[in-house]
Formats: sequence, C-alpha cells, structure tokens
Amino acid sequence: MANNLSMLLDGFQTAFTPTNLMFGLLGTFLGTLVGVLPGIGPALAIGLLLPITLTVNPTSALIMFAAVFYGAMYGGSTTSILLNTPGESGSVITALEGNKMAKAGRAGAALATAAIGSFVAGTIATLLLAFGAPAMAELALTIQPAGYLALIILAFATVGTLLGTSRIRGLVALSVGLVLGLIGADLQSGALRLTFGSLNAIDGIETVTVIVAIFALGEVLYLASRHTLVASQVLAINGRAWMSWADFHRSWRPWLRGTAIGFPLGVIPAGGSEVPTFLSYGVEKALSKNKNEFGKGAIEGVAGPEAANNANAAGVLVPMLALGLPTSATAAVVLVAFQSFNIQPGPMLFQTNPEIVWGLIASLFIGNFLLLVLNLPLIRFWVLLLKIPSHYLYAGITTFALLGAYALNNSTFDLKVALAIGLLGFLFRRFGVPITPLIIGVILGPLAELYFKRALQISQGDWHILIAGGFPKFIYAILIMVIMAPFIWKFMKKFVVKK
Amino acid sequence: MIFQKISKQVKGELAFAGSLFLLGVFVAWDTSKMDIPQDNSIISPQTFPYMVSAFVSLVGFALIIHILRGNHGTPEGNSPTDPIEPLNFKTMLIVSTAIVLHVILLEIAGYIVAAIVCFWGIAYGFGSRKPIKDLGISVVFALIVYFAFTQGLNVNLPSGLLRGIFGNGK
Repeated sequence: MANNLSMLLDGFQTAFTPTNLMFGLLGTFLGTLVGVLPGIGPALAIGLLLPITLTVNPTSALIMFAAVFYGAMYGGSTTSILLNTPGESGSVITALEGNKMAKAGRAGAALATAAIGSFVAGTIATLLLAFGAPAMAELALTIQPAGYLALIILAFATVGTLLGTSRIRGLVALSVGLVLGLIGADLQSGALRLTFGSLNAIDGIETVTVIVAIFALGEVLYLASRHTLVASQVLAINGRAWMSWADFHRSWRPWLRGTAIGFPLGVIPAGGSEVPTFLSYGVEKALSKNKNEFGKGAIEGVAGPEAANNANAAGVLVPMLALGLPTSATAAVVLVAFQSFNIQPGPMLFQTNPEIVWGLIASLFIGNFLLLVLNLPLIRFWVLLLKIPSHYLYAGITTFALLGAYALNNSTFDLKVALAIGLLGFLFRRFGVPITPLIIGVILGPLAELYFKRALQISQGDWHILIAGGFPKFIYAILIMVIMAPFIWKFMKKFVVKK
Repeated sequence: MIFQKISKQVKGELAFAGSLFLLGVFVAWDTSKMDIPQDNSIISPQTFPYMVSAFVSLVGFALIIHILRGNHGTPEGNSPTDPIEPLNFKTMLIVSTAIVLHVILLEIAGYIVAAIVCFWGIAYGFGSRKPIKDLGISVVFALIVYFAFTQGLNVNLPSGLLRGIFGNGK
C-alpha cells in the first residue's frame, strides 16, 4: 500500500515535467476534439490519434494517451446530450435522458452533471486502479498458462455474448476476429498461415489498421449505403454549462452509485460499458424520488450512467495493465499503444516499466482534472464542431483514417488490408453484427493460442491440464454463469423497461 | 417458413452466413496445406487453426439456421421493426471509388493529391454540391495534414508530384 503510494507520487513527478504536462494538455484537447465528432467513439478516437504518438518518447506518448482516453469519453457524452447520436454503446443511456434535458432547455445542467460526474467517477476509479492493478498483477504472477487460457475464453464469452442484440452474431464477430488473428507466421514454429504468399502478411495484420478500418471506413461505407442521412439537430445551450445546488444535490449520489457499479464490472470482463450504464440507469430509476421525470429528462439518469461509463473505462484498464487482457475496444487500442513501444502489459509490467505505468496512472488523474477545467468553459467551442456539415465530417474521418492505416508502416499493403476490413465493417453493420468482439478476437486470439500451447507443453501434451487446478475450474464456473447471464439480463431489461 | 418468399436483405444475410461457413472450410484447407518447418514442438502449429476453423464454420452454420428460423439481423441504428431500406449503390460507389483512388494515387501522385481526391470525392458522394468550395476545403485539409505530419511529427508521407515544390518527402 505505502509502496504503491510512493510509486504513484513518483508517477506524478514524471507526469508533472513541463513536456509531459504539455502532452497531457494536448491529449485532452485532441481527445475531446475527436470524441465530440459524431460517430467517433473513444476506441476510434484513440486509434486515429495513434500515429501522432509514434515519434514521441514512450512516457510522454502514453501520458498523452491517458488524456486522449478520458477526453474522448467526455467528448462522446457531449455529443450524446446535444445531438442524440451516441458514438459508442456506453453513451446510449446518456443520450436517453441527456438529450431530453437539452430539449427542455437544461443542456447546461446535463453537460455539467456529465462532466463533474465523469470527473468524480474517473478520480475514484483511477484511485482504485492505482491500488487494484498492482494487487492483481501480484496475484497474476501465480496464474499458470492454463489459467490464462481460461481467462481469455471467459473474456471471449462475455464480450461475444453480452454485446449487441443477438448472441450468435456476437460469436460471428468473434470468430472472424480469430481468423484475422491467425494471419501471419506462427509464433513458435514460424509456419505461415493465411498469408497467400504475401511477404507483408508474414508479420500478421496490424491491430490499429483493423480498428481504424472497421470503425471509420466501415461506418462511412455503411452511412453511404443508406438513403436517408439522419440530420440531427444540435441543441442550443441556454446560459452556462453549470448546475444549480438542487441539481448537485440530485446528482452526487448517482455519481457514487454509478462509480460503484461501473468499476467492478470493468474489472471482471462484463463486455463493455453497455451493461454497467444500463444497470446504473435502472438503479437510479428505481431509487429516484422523481420517477415521473425519467424518460423526460431526469438528471439522475445522466449522472449515474455517465459516472458508471467513466468508472467502467478505468476498471477495464485493471485487467489490461495487470493481465494484458483487454476486454473492450478502447482497452484494446490502449494495449496496442503499449505494444507499439515494445512494452507488453501484464503481471511484470509494474516491475519492468514502473516509470511508464505509474506515469500513466498519474496522468489519468491529471487528464481527468484538466478535462473538468477545460471543458465546461470551452463548451461553446466544442458545440461549433457539432455543426460541421456531415459530408465534410465523413470526408475528413475517412481521409484521416486512411492516413492512420498508412503511416504506421508507410505501406500500401496496410491500406489494402484496411479496405478489405472496411468492407467487412460495412457488412457487419448491415447485418447487425457487433464490432467489438471482432477486435477482441484479433487481439486475444494469438494470446489464446500461445497459452494453449504453453499449457500443453508443460503437461507434455496431456489435455487434462487445461482444467486442472482450482483457478481454471473457478474461471470455467464463472463462464457457465456468464452463459446463463443473458437470460437473467433479458428478464431484467424487460422488468426495467416495463416499469 | 423456409419456402416463403425471402427478401433481398435476407438473401444477403444468408450469403454472409454462408461465406462465414466457407471461410471456416477455407481456413481448414489452408491449415492442411501448411508448410511446417521441422516441427519439434509437442503441439503442432495446425491444432489451433483447426480449432478456429471448426468454430467459424459452426458459427456460420448456426447463423444460417438462425436466419432461416426468422431471426434476421437488424441494421445498425435501426430498431427491429424498422423497414429495411435497399442499398444506396450510387453513394456507395462514389465513396468507395474515392477511397480506392486514394490508395492508388498515394504512391504515384503523392499524399497531397491523393488526400484532395479522396476528401473531395467523399464530400461529393455524400451530397455536397459546391465543387469549388469543396475543392478549397480539400486542399486546405490535405495541406494541413501533410505538413502537420511531415514537419511536426516527422512522419514520412510520399510527396509525389509535388516533390519539387514541397521538398523533403520521399
């Protein structure tokens, strides 16, 4: 505990150098800027900004990333409230009440409770992260390959079956992701798989290319395929983005409850921010004294889910940092950012790269604070961005995404891969297949194979090792519960909506 | 159920599910053809790909059954009861052409030209009818991105046709 605290203080020292602080500020600004743009969620925002960090030193780059991470989420909630076009699943609930509030002329209060709630939740959750991640890393050192494999399979199941409208389609996305993850040389034997004789494909395909292509190109192609472009109206903010004492009084409990729901559900992979935000909404609705306001713009319905969303995002960083297992698209991009500097998150990270990881955690605090200071006053500037005509927006997103795919290796091969994956993203959207499981499949597929082989090497080929020992058994027991969960979830959803 | 008239959308979805099934078969075929350089590991590099291929085919098959039983996918942003609109081939064609042109032009004509073409084409595809204004915006966008990346971030982008004018590209 005390040791962690001193490491965290060292982290602040790293983050507080003028250069790093400047990168933090830049990250906050760029993150919000990209996050505000309609249709861009945090994962794509970070993916698009990844090339910018390529030439910066790892510590500064990751500090900038931390700032982009919170900035993009904050920007996303602004868009949901003012435009009612949530960029990612976590903001869907925010749009539900927030947009109604904005329509009723209470945009300022909605934005304020979202911003302050995100700050409160982000700060508490980052604190929990600072102490939880090293603890988890220490425990993780004892996990055997078979245990890791069990964890990955659990992540597959949660991400694959909890997201989207149908479980089979989640598994479809996962399976395609696993195939994409196979491409390239086998790690141990060097045998080539699905490379079609292309030299470029030997190293596999870049995760960033997949993310940028499937989110940006896939989305733009899908929008192009529709005849009616829904032109949402940007709602005006009357007065300042601020809230009254009465609003504050109604908000602070939802913030704390949202944090309490969001963080743990991020740590145990519950498949993105959809479940925690929905749960928080249900809880606030059940506990609120102003039940009749729900559906017409209840501030609790913005405060709780926004806090849950932010706390969830910080919670997802715990298994990402401590185990190297990302369970959301956003965490996957952050993992890629680490890997692009040849740093592998996992149990050893806190020992091998303490400066970087503690600098990152400290930056999460700083970035969160900067956002609070920066965004409420700057809100009118962000609103201007919402008024960019959609044809320029799509043109800009596409051109920038293509640049991101190219600049990684300066190769047109990556661009061609991006085109193919963009087309896949279009098909996924057209047929209602969720995107995130694909990304998790691409990233965790190769890891699953690695641990699978290691486990069987230890046991000299005896498959029983995969379920031997308490830890794998425990995880597989949770897995069975997760498979049952959607039925319970469906029941709850019905219950909450009907009420 | 199965023999009732099925819409274009459902046909498309069935084709998607079918290709998924075939993808699994293809992965299995590719794996069986794999060149294994002196294999001394206990687990063959083929085991995992075979497992993935089986999983893909299984999921593809399950999706086919799922669709035939009437559980059609809902396009993103629609609610399940919305009518499904036919594809807007015209816009799709213009937008994809702009993207493909970007890829082709990038190393021939350089980043700036490729970005201008792509940006302008997509704006046009999405219904903008102010070609001159769009051209201006495309040029400004391309120049800002080009200089921000090459000068500010030291990322190398092909200067192509404009090599003489803007110097230090590839």
